[in-house]
Amino acid sequence: MIPILVALPLLVAFLVTLFETLKVKEGKIKSVFLAGILLPWVIFIHTATKLPLSEIVGNHAKEAGIQVSLDIYNFYFILAELILFSLVAVYSMSYFKQRAKNGKIYALLLLMHAGLLGAFISRDLFNYYIYMEVASVSSFALVALSDEKGAKKAAYKYLAFSLVASYLFIFAIGIIYLKTGYLNVELIKSSVTVSREINVALAVAFSALILKAGIFPLHFWLPDAHSKAPNPISALLSGIVVKAPIYGMLLLYLALPIRKSLLNLLTLIAFSSMLIGVIFALLQKNAKRLLAYHTVSQMGYVLLGIATSNPLGAIYYAFAHTLFKGGLFLSIGTLINAQKTKDLESLTYRHDKILMISIIMLSLAIGGISPFVGAFGKKLLLSNLSGIQLYLFYIAGVGTLVSFTKLNYYLMKQGKAVKSDLTQKVLSLIIAVLTLAFGVYFGLVISYRDLLVILVAILTFWLLQRVGFFNITLKKYFGESMEEIGREVNAYMVLYSLFLLVLLLQSF
Amino acid sequence: MINAETAGIVIMLIGLYGLITKRNLIKQVLAINVISTGLVLFFVGTGYVENAEVPILPQQAVVDPLPATLMLTTLVVDVAITSLALALILRMRREER
Repeated sequence: MIPILVALPLLVAFLVTLFETLKVKEGKIKSVFLAGILLPWVIFIHTATKLPLSEIVGNHAKEAGIQVSLDIYNFYFILAELILFSLVAVYSMSYFKQRAKNGKIYALLLLMHAGLLGAFISRDLFNYYIYMEVASVSSFALVALSDEKGAKKAAYKYLAFSLVASYLFIFAIGIIYLKTGYLNVELIKSSVTVSREINVALAVAFSALILKAGIFPLHFWLPDAHSKAPNPISALLSGIVVKAPIYGMLLLYLALPIRKSLLNLLTLIAFSSMLIGVIFALLQKNAKRLLAYHTVSQMGYVLLGIATSNPLGAIYYAFAHTLFKGGLFLSIGTLINAQKTKDLESLTYRHDKILMISIIMLSLAIGGISPFVGAFGKKLLLSNLSGIQLYLFYIAGVGTLVSFTKLNYYLMKQGKAVKSDLTQKVLSLIIAVLTLAFGVYFGLVISYRDLLVILVAILTFWLLQRVGFFNITLKKYFGESMEEIGREVNAYMVLYSLFLLVLLLQSF
Repeated sequence: MINAETAGIVIMLIGLYGLITKRNLIKQVLAINVISTGLVLFFVGTGYVENAEVPILPQQAVVDPLPATLMLTTLVVDVAITSLALALILRMRREER
């Protein structure tokens, strides 16, 4: 039953491409596309009552077949994927309506849908990689779709780094297969003995997945790709595509014993990503780049969950992040569509009460304010922290709030009234309400301590503005020509090799 | 004697060297392809069993067929991504003019 979840969007992707070639009317293609996005819901709701579920595709023996599961480890990933994709699908139909011939875009979106679902249900390392790659390839193409200057270059950089990371990930899978003889997560767990080779495999695999998840210091491709993609695609990339590597880390965590030294290193990486992501975000003037840098920071939180052996924290925080970051990209994207600028100085939501409410709600959610969904993930993450880690965690949280205070401060100013699309506004509001609804469902209540945190954040913002911190502009080191892109790839590849070397050295 | 796995890793490192030193984007795509070739060799090497036969008919000892099968899938991904990368480079050049 579970594999059908993936088969449906794949089949519809094929049909959409076929209909496009046969010159079927756009309206019909749209309804077929929507059916492909929404059909997995039927299977999901049907199976969700019988958790946990597990089966081998084609009823082969466990050693020979591919295992797929639906249980606590992936339930929230799939739920988040389905919610975000359903909303973004409707949003994209409104966003791309000026273009003729959108069949290819719809087919790519469906392929990404199938790829992500396939990756999230998989309990087999190689099968997981293949589906993640399906999703990545469609996202490269979708980033390149944007008409914005530099989008093709962003897509090329994304492709090059992501591809090298993928090869290293398969290389790590190869080592694991060589040592254990299995690709299935449960079988690996039952037959693995700790050895140096396994440690090397883990180091290589984690470095690859950290790059694909866009965590500092391997985040260099992310701000460009996520900010230059078309708005609904940005929501998908930041919302859910970066969660696929996180699920891979979870599979590795379930399959293999990870050494304490690697976990400590991952904790360090997670904290640096959380803090440095926020600092970069504070300095951005482009609304979408600001959100993209927050993804770097927030993925640090998710990695922290895995690094502190707290998979539930990672899962719930990843779920929360999908909702609010997807929502932020959709709602700010709506403003950008209407006002035709990404500059924070000229964007405004003063005349748009619906967007104002949803952006404020989502800003509170990303800041981890109770009773929004982010607070639940944070509470779980906090349970395994102690000492200085707690303070760093709080600093990153306040930093996020300061950055969103800045966003709202700029958006609140007066400006000329421009009408934005109603469908897009309503979708943004729906996702904002969902962040609140899930928070309440997880049993969160209004906490007065959070009000204090907001106050501290506003004060810090005021101080930083007085000092002139926000006037600092970051100089771009690399230019825009093709030669420069080549140099940029060279430089970051050196950085990646060094990072890999550090992870490898600790595994001996 | 050098075995297939070691040779594969060396070829992957050569590809990485290409990515670090070459500025031409087409050459970078080729370097990525070199990495993938090394990877294929590594995988085929992991399935090798000394003095074993081709895994077609049930025989006494056969080499492990799974790694080779996995690599077929990877090769398909390679072809798709290489063409996408080249198409992107063409578009970038057109934008530059």
